[in-house]
Amino acid sequence: MRAIIIDDERLARAELRKLLQDFPEIEVVDEAANAEEGIEKIEAQNPDLIFLDIQMPGKTGFDMLSSLEKSPNVIFTTAYDEYALKAFEVNALDYLLKPVEPKRLADAIQKLHFSETREPMTNGEHINRSMLTENDQVFVKDGERCWFVKLNDIRLFESVGNYAKVFFATNKPLILKSLNALEERLDEKMFFRANRKHIVNLRMIDKIEPYFNGGLLLELKGGEKIEVSRRQTVKFKEMMSL
Amino acid sequence: MIVVFGAGIAITHILRLFIKWRGWVMQSIEHVIPKLVIAMIITSLLFSLSVLALNYLFNLGVDSSKKLSFLARLSASTVDNGLFILPWVLIYYFYHFIEKSRRQQLDTFQLEALIKELELKTIKAHINPHFIFNSLNSIRALIDENPVRARTAITELSNILRSSMQVDKAETVTFEKELNIVKDYLALENMRFEDRLQVQYEIDEDTLDQQVPPMMLQTLVENAIKHGISKHIRGGMIKIISDFKNHYHELAVQNTGSLNGGLNAEGFGLSSTQNRLGLLYGDKASFEIKQVTPSTVEARVLIPVQMN
Repeated sequence: MRAIIIDDERLARAELRKLLQDFPEIEVVDEAANAEEGIEKIEAQNPDLIFLDIQMPGKTGFDMLSSLEKSPNVIFTTAYDEYALKAFEVNALDYLLKPVEPKRLADAIQKLHFSETREPMTNGEHINRSMLTENDQVFVKDGERCWFVKLNDIRLFESVGNYAKVFFATNKPLILKSLNALEERLDEKMFFRANRKHIVNLRMIDKIEPYFNGGLLLELKGGEKIEVSRRQTVKFKEMMSL
Repeated sequence: MIVVFGAGIAITHILRLFIKWRGWVMQSIEHVIPKLVIAMIITSLLFSLSVLALNYLFNLGVDSSKKLSFLARLSASTVDNGLFILPWVLIYYFYHFIEKSRRQQLDTFQLEALIKELELKTIKAHINPHFIFNSLNSIRALIDENPVRARTAITELSNILRSSMQVDKAETVTFEKELNIVKDYLALENMRFEDRLQVQYEIDEDTLDQQVPPMMLQTLVENAIKHGISKHIRGGMIKIISDFKNHYHELAVQNTGSLNGGLNAEGFGLSSTQNRLGLLYGDKASFEIKQVTPSTVEARVLIPVQMN
């Protein structure tokens, strides 16, 4: 597993690197001292895992993740930060407290192995690396709460100005991405542009009903009702009949 | 009849004012009872006198009573009226007693809460847990890399922890002692931030004997690091100044950065500085934080000079 350590303190990076020597399956391929550098290196190296400090100069670790297209596996590291810890506890993100206890590190890595075997990443077919696949996760932050969301679990993207509202489970936080930008990155076999304002996950459709003007009305598993424009209806029927 | 009633109200009112004026409500019951008895007899006597005077004035006297001497009538009337005034006074006292104890209880609760809050806040404000754990983490890394530095770092951290625990024991310490803590603190931060943190000292040696509130300069320096250094990718400079300005001991901490009008958000560190100075020196000390150059923020404290 290829990993990058992101922390603004050189000694903290050195310490973590040293601890990771006991885990031959983790190969530290690079380090970054702030969020900007982190983004660059993640894009260049495409790591499987990052160790991420929360409090860094410039952008915080959370901000950095929100600005990534897709997020690698993340283990947060923090010395002490009440607010961040609250976010962790609410959403069960994995985190290590510095100074890191070797046992906790082993547990966190073990947990990664487990999720890895359960859902094998389809990294073999790298035709288009910028394309997001169903197992990719995005990091979503809404005020104090934050989540890693698998594309699989997203029912709907709704355009709200420059933002997009992401519907999953019972949550619908906003992310700073336009619907058009999202559409370009999403697999069209999975996500369908129903109209100007909505992109739906085809696997999350519960009911399809005819609608006036030759359009369709989709009811999603969360109960949302989305109208398919007349133009897109033709496309939708084509796709579904395949 | 109405006139008598009005006179009754007037005279008990005077009694109440008298009790208030002498502060009898606040005194213990044993002390008040004899005074109160005398006061009641006098009041009752005065009341009877005025009633008799009114009777005489308006010629309302009943024939049968005329047979009695004036003195007998006065004493009978006094006892009679006294019986009226007694419950009146008792009710008044009972009400005040309850009111007083209720208020006292409330005050005690409020005071207790305030003390607790202040204690908690001082502990929190003086040493930031984020700093402690980050330092420990750096020290762990240094144990292999530079064992000598690791050893001194442990000494520095111990000094800071010790002085933060002693902060409530003394109102003031010598500036020399405070400066040593700040130097330890900055040495540890230097270990973490490495070349991102530059430190300069501009200390007038004569100020070392001055008394200052413990951990106050430390709080200002911590604040400067938090806002001036840790938020900037390239870090910055911290400068500590101590000298005499007129009749004041001037303590200043400068850091690279700008205020951006975000003063309110800077939290407890700065308001506690203001409060501590106020408690110790009244309005003779002052504290301000301002932008001194486009890229430098300065926090400045002026304490009146003490002559030994």
